[in-house]
Amino acid sequence: MNFNKISSVKILIVEDEKELSDGIASYLKSEDYLCETADNFDKAIAKIDVYDYDCILLDITIPGGNGLDILKELKENNKMDGVLIISARNSLDDKIAGLTLGADDYLSKPFHLSELSARVAAIIRRKNFDGNNLLKFENIVIDTIAKSASVKNKVLELTKKEYELLLYFVSNKNRVISKNAIAEHLWGDDIQGANDFIYTHIKNLRRKLIEAGKADYIKSVYGMGYKFSAQ
Amino acid sequence: MKLLAKYNLVNVATTIIVLMLSGLVYYFFIEHALVHQLDKSLVAEEKEITDYIKENNALPEPSYTRDEQEVYAPASGGMITRKFSSIKLPGNGYYENVLYRQLEFAVTVKGKIYKADVRKSQEETEDLVQLILKITLAIVLLLLVTLFIINRFVLRKIWKPFYSTLQQIKQFNVKGKDNVSLEPTNINEFAELNDAVTVMATRTIHEYIEIKSFTENASHEIQTPLAIIASKLELLSQSENLEEEQMNAIQSIADTTSRLSKLNQSLLLLAKIDNRQFATADKINISAVLLRHISNYEELFHAKEITVVKNIIREVMITTNETLAEILIVNLLTNAIKHNIDKGFINVGLNEKHLIVSNTGKVLHVNPAIFFERFKKDSTFNDSMGLGLSIVKKICETYGFGVTYHYENPLHIVTINFA
Repeated sequence: MNFNKISSVKILIVEDEKELSDGIASYLKSEDYLCETADNFDKAIAKIDVYDYDCILLDITIPGGNGLDILKELKENNKMDGVLIISARNSLDDKIAGLTLGADDYLSKPFHLSELSARVAAIIRRKNFDGNNLLKFENIVIDTIAKSASVKNKVLELTKKEYELLLYFVSNKNRVISKNAIAEHLWGDDIQGANDFIYTHIKNLRRKLIEAGKADYIKSVYGMGYKFSAQ
Repeated sequence: MKLLAKYNLVNVATTIIVLMLSGLVYYFFIEHALVHQLDKSLVAEEKEITDYIKENNALPEPSYTRDEQEVYAPASGGMITRKFSSIKLPGNGYYENVLYRQLEFAVTVKGKIYKADVRKSQEETEDLVQLILKITLAIVLLLLVTLFIINRFVLRKIWKPFYSTLQQIKQFNVKGKDNVSLEPTNINEFAELNDAVTVMATRTIHEYIEIKSFTENASHEIQTPLAIIASKLELLSQSENLEEEQMNAIQSIADTTSRLSKLNQSLLLLAKIDNRQFATADKINISAVLLRHISNYEELFHAKEITVVKNIIREVMITTNETLAEILIVNLLTNAIKHNIDKGFINVGLNEKHLIVSNTGKVLHVNPAIFFERFKKDSTFNDSMGLGLSIVKKICETYGFGVTYHYENPLHIVTINFA
């Protein structure tokens, strides 16, 4: 499967809170993912039995059963669906259990949709690998294996955080991303008041992109954060 | 004073008093009985003497033995009344003073009145009394010895269930998984105590678990609505043509929501540490964890122009839970960054004995120890929740590390002792 055929990417959201699954779906849909939802255990099982998904967002506490059992079912049937656990429990045991059972990632509620989107993109990239580890945006090419980025074939000299920032922006292109979401993505959710520091990072990244090839895609959105877009 | 000692004191004191009193009573009764006996034999002597006088119309020979004396003397005027008395007569050089019981009476021989004294030694009585005293003392001594032995071996054994129960109560921890396990006893009072303690402990544990699970469930349940609010806000912020005012409002709601969620997560973390949900402890290379996190914040240090001085000994191994060790380090480092000043510095020292993180910061007006309490913070740090150091302290308590915070202008110094 070619990653550039985005319309073929299918996502299943297993989450009983309709408001939340709707929110996730509408955010991911603008990424041209095809999103389906299941709000209880049986519906989820019915769907995964019939269809193959590129990524399943799995809440552990759902009506009718445990999300981890869905994960077991997938693995028993040798399904290759990527699984991202989203749990309100934020419990280490759940995390370990989930990852041991073969989940690809774990995200605890509440999360930033931009973070979720970046994680989903990473899972899909890994699943639909096919030797294609290059992520493209306009004239920027990101090599997710070498963890490097280039503009017009000129490799950018990026620090680790700048690389992560660029990847995060590209995974959330054309979206407004809050400073909080960026700070948490870069340093984990432990550091508060780090929002001011990201300004320096963004300034540096922007300068490097412009210098390398007039790739001025980072826009500041007043009061809210930043947006990575070609327009 | 121990109950046992107090009880013994009263017990021994009364026993001794009662024994002494009974000795005294013995003494008087026996003396009285013996004297009465002597008096009877003196009366018999008197009768013998009067009979002798009647028969022979002459005084009998006086006698002067140590045990018995009969003395006659002409009455020197006045009436002679018959009377018993105890007198002490001087010894005759060879004997010491001797106590005699004496009967004085008048006899008439050939129309002449004589005063007759018959005496019998009271020495034996004295001996007997002394013997009684000795026996009493011996009994007191025996009693003391017996009491001592009883206390030493028997009472200690009898009280053992009580002390075991007491120990259990002292060690009782409402957070502990196990209820108290009390030694069975056939002493009613202790059995009753044990029952009461067991009931109380069970109820306390039950109620604690109820409250704990309620708090935890409440915290968990709050996460989902927060997630909905956050996701809706993020979607809202994607809308085109937002007014400046709306954007500010969205941002402010998003910030507040994020704060609420972090607060909730921190409280949950504290509860989880309390519940020992991070039970597993491994040997952790704390040096590596520390260095990794310092390098993670490299750019933050740079942005604030903070100089970091590292005195970190490699391969320091600490037995602790890995997740908690990470949280500990992250909290200490982020605190040092958050509360630092521009162009300040952070000093991180680590060896086998302790971890010291000191940083420049604002002048402190309060006792730094309060920062270990929940929600205590200097009012000048508004974006802080005041839970970071509570978490640090809780983690340290869990693994028996000592933790102190002191302020030496301009340095804020947090020290963790691993020993």
